[in-house]
Amino acid sequence: MTKTKRFVAYLKRIPSDIKKLLREPFLLIGIILVNLFLFLFIVLPLFKIFQLSFEDKGQFSLAIFSELLSKKYNVQPLIHSLTLGIAVSILGTLIGFIFAYAITRVDIPWKRFFNIMATFPIIAPPFMMSLSAILLFGKQGFVSKLILRDIIQFKIYGFYGLLVVETLTYFSTAYLTLYGVLQAIDPALEDAALDLGASKGKVFRSITLPLATPAIASAILLVFSQSLADFGNPMILAGNYTILATQAYLTIVGMFNMKGGAALAILLLIPSLIAFCLQKYWVSRKSYVTVTGKPSAARIKMDRPLTKYSIFGLCLLLTGIIFLFYGMILFGSFVKLWGANHTLTMDNYKHVFTVGWEFIKDTLLLSSVATPIAGILAMIIAFLVVRKSFPGKRLMELVSLLTFAVPGTVVGIGYILAFNQPPLVLTGTAAIIILVFIFRDIAVGVQTGIAELQQIDPSIEEASTDLGADSSITFRRITLPMITPAFYSGLAFTFVKCMTAISAVIFVVSGRWNLITIAILGSVENSDLSQAAAFSIVIIVFILLALWLIQFLVNQIGRGRKLKFEKAEALQSI
Amino acid sequence: MKQSKVIVSLWLLVIFVFVGPSIGKAADVLHMYTALDPNEAKVYIEAFMKDTKINVEWVRMSAGEVLTRLKAESKNPQVSVWYGGPSAEFIAGRKEGLLIPYKSPVGAPFLKGNLKDSEDYWTGFYFGAIGFGNNTNFFEKNKLAYPTSWQDLLKPEFKANISIAYPYTSGTSFTTLATLVQLMGEDKAFDYWKKLDSNIHHYNTSGSACVTQAGLGEIAIGIAFSHDILAKGTSKGYPIKGTFPSEGTGFEIGALALVKGGPEPELGKKFIDWSLSKRAQDLMQVWFRIPLNPQAEVAAGATKASDVKLINYDDEWAGNNNKRLIEKWRQIIGK
Repeated sequence: MTKTKRFVAYLKRIPSDIKKLLREPFLLIGIILVNLFLFLFIVLPLFKIFQLSFEDKGQFSLAIFSELLSKKYNVQPLIHSLTLGIAVSILGTLIGFIFAYAITRVDIPWKRFFNIMATFPIIAPPFMMSLSAILLFGKQGFVSKLILRDIIQFKIYGFYGLLVVETLTYFSTAYLTLYGVLQAIDPALEDAALDLGASKGKVFRSITLPLATPAIASAILLVFSQSLADFGNPMILAGNYTILATQAYLTIVGMFNMKGGAALAILLLIPSLIAFCLQKYWVSRKSYVTVTGKPSAARIKMDRPLTKYSIFGLCLLLTGIIFLFYGMILFGSFVKLWGANHTLTMDNYKHVFTVGWEFIKDTLLLSSVATPIAGILAMIIAFLVVRKSFPGKRLMELVSLLTFAVPGTVVGIGYILAFNQPPLVLTGTAAIIILVFIFRDIAVGVQTGIAELQQIDPSIEEASTDLGADSSITFRRITLPMITPAFYSGLAFTFVKCMTAISAVIFVVSGRWNLITIAILGSVENSDLSQAAAFSIVIIVFILLALWLIQFLVNQIGRGRKLKFEKAEALQSI
Repeated sequence: MKQSKVIVSLWLLVIFVFVGPSIGKAADVLHMYTALDPNEAKVYIEAFMKDTKINVEWVRMSAGEVLTRLKAESKNPQVSVWYGGPSAEFIAGRKEGLLIPYKSPVGAPFLKGNLKDSEDYWTGFYFGAIGFGNNTNFFEKNKLAYPTSWQDLLKPEFKANISIAYPYTSGTSFTTLATLVQLMGEDKAFDYWKKLDSNIHHYNTSGSACVTQAGLGEIAIGIAFSHDILAKGTSKGYPIKGTFPSEGTGFEIGALALVKGGPEPELGKKFIDWSLSKRAQDLMQVWFRIPLNPQAEVAAGATKASDVKLINYDDEWAGNNNKRLIEKWRQIIGK
């Protein structure tokens, strides 16, 4: 079908879609509400930014961009960000795939342990990996000073430092996406290929890999966008390798130039949108419905010693590196004065629980309000996108994933521009922080939900509808239970993101409502490394507690429901 | 399903109890943004709360951020006081129409000349000079002399060993830039910085961060305010020694001001009065800031105006030329 024909078909479908919607008022109201929220809290703030950067004396103008692109200090960050984003997304997805493949398909020991280690970096508070990089490889670093005795001087400020810390932070996103999908791919297909005489390598190349392709594309997209929008690490480690996200922040914050910062952010949006469209076009041409609803137990294992041990060794090495980074933060948080006085002390924690207590309390409260709302909303959006047909669906999907591509700083500024004047005055309230939390990271939940739903054959839901259930009942009773794993990871992701949010919320925190990450930023800006380390450890501990609590609560609700895809294991174990 | 309903209603209850009351704002609370170090700000603000029984809710941001934030919120100001940051930033804020004047009776006897705004839009409360924080280990190990002039910083042995903040994010660094321009003249100052740039390891966002970085040995020399060099370097136990340029150096008058349209102007005035009192100014010894109230105690070892050679630093000119100088700096240095 040519594009125009497809478009005509789409137009023809609209009246029947609308008719179908009118028959289901619940669905209709749901769609309207979701779209209203998305419009108010994602589109409107962005629109304000666009308005600010394109409007010149009441007229549409591109002057800001020609001005931006004519300056070396704006063009360079663009090139840097793209280079870094591509490098991190490829390396991160590769590492994520190695872990996911090893755990789902290869006969290696310690799978549970590797699973924990591969998911752990997800909860890294902002700045943490960079902080650790300084503690390890800085001039007074543990590795460079104590182990290598200054023989090798690491250049941690710049591209290579950022590549390492961002890869170590974001490969987990790739891992979680790939793990869920590799786990869900029906092994019967692989078994069949083996029975027909294909080698294990051939099975991998012609069955496993193609089936995982949509997930790999998603993973690359997610990691690429995360790297582009990363703010915490470049803040510390970029050195002279200027990065677009921080540059936009610095332009807004330092130069009082909201217009220029907004325009830089729009430059940042373009590559993310291109990546997004590429992925959609590519993914949509592959059919990947492999789950039939019946659980399958048998799974082929790669058990050739060479493959097995080389993959095991690789996992071990990567895990060791992650261990080193986290261990260093833990150690650093007990050190009196890094680099000068290495006696151990509890002072940093005393500080955290006295000076920082208000921050901790607010963060926990606001996060626990935002998490369930975001989790449910994300699942509803994913359901609507994959299963329902209505005018404007693609746009809705695009909008819900858009937040991921916009640097947080700009979201923050957008919120201030949009919600500091009637009709919606929200600045200074808890509501605005909660809203940033919900809409800032909804893309992750939506993306996981979509990936999961696309794996499930719609005939199960069709059966429910055929038996007389309407959309809302089908969603609650059939779809939601089937995508529980995605819902879990949505919840967990959101909570983690709330606890570790910095770039957007920094603009909407107020004296009344404050956040731990802001306290860390204060410590880091003042180079109080040990204090920042202690705050980071406290965030990690609270995240672990909360994840355990989420898991416990959901188990209670589900009366100990056994998870079909075992994906939640990933979250259970963190 | 029953259980899930119980959990959902419990959750709603918790939200209602905790979030509900705070949607509206309490009446007798003073809201402020501060650019002081959070650990330091906490000391002063808690003393104020103890002395006056007025509650304070505050957020710490760098001075540039405060300015941006106030601009963005100008239609619905969230705070009454902007507490801390070099006067040049406040002059820029006044130009944007973000401040309202207040002449404190407490400060009137000693706040003269450049220690406050000519029309009282901002009020000075401490003094600090720009200097160099040097890592003593580096200098001993390499048998080098400490830098005692701006020209010394250009020596090849300091290549990639000096750090400072971006002039557009940090009051410290902008003060340095304005100092150099006033000292050497504009063209020569930018020529100088171009040469200095090849000795700069990296730029920070926060002005005082380079002191700790020098303490850690990441760099050898950090360019920062004297009180930060002492408070964050020497007094914490880092091997840091402060020196000052012989050609003369710039300084800041740290200021505070009332925000235009702020919700609690009367409480804000009380805070400004309190900040200038001997009691409050004495507290600044913990951070080695030089108090402006002549009756207040000065911390032992703190760098007073008489200890260093100061240029006749014109903060009014610096504040008015802020945008232009920064834009030029970015064009020439390319960062």
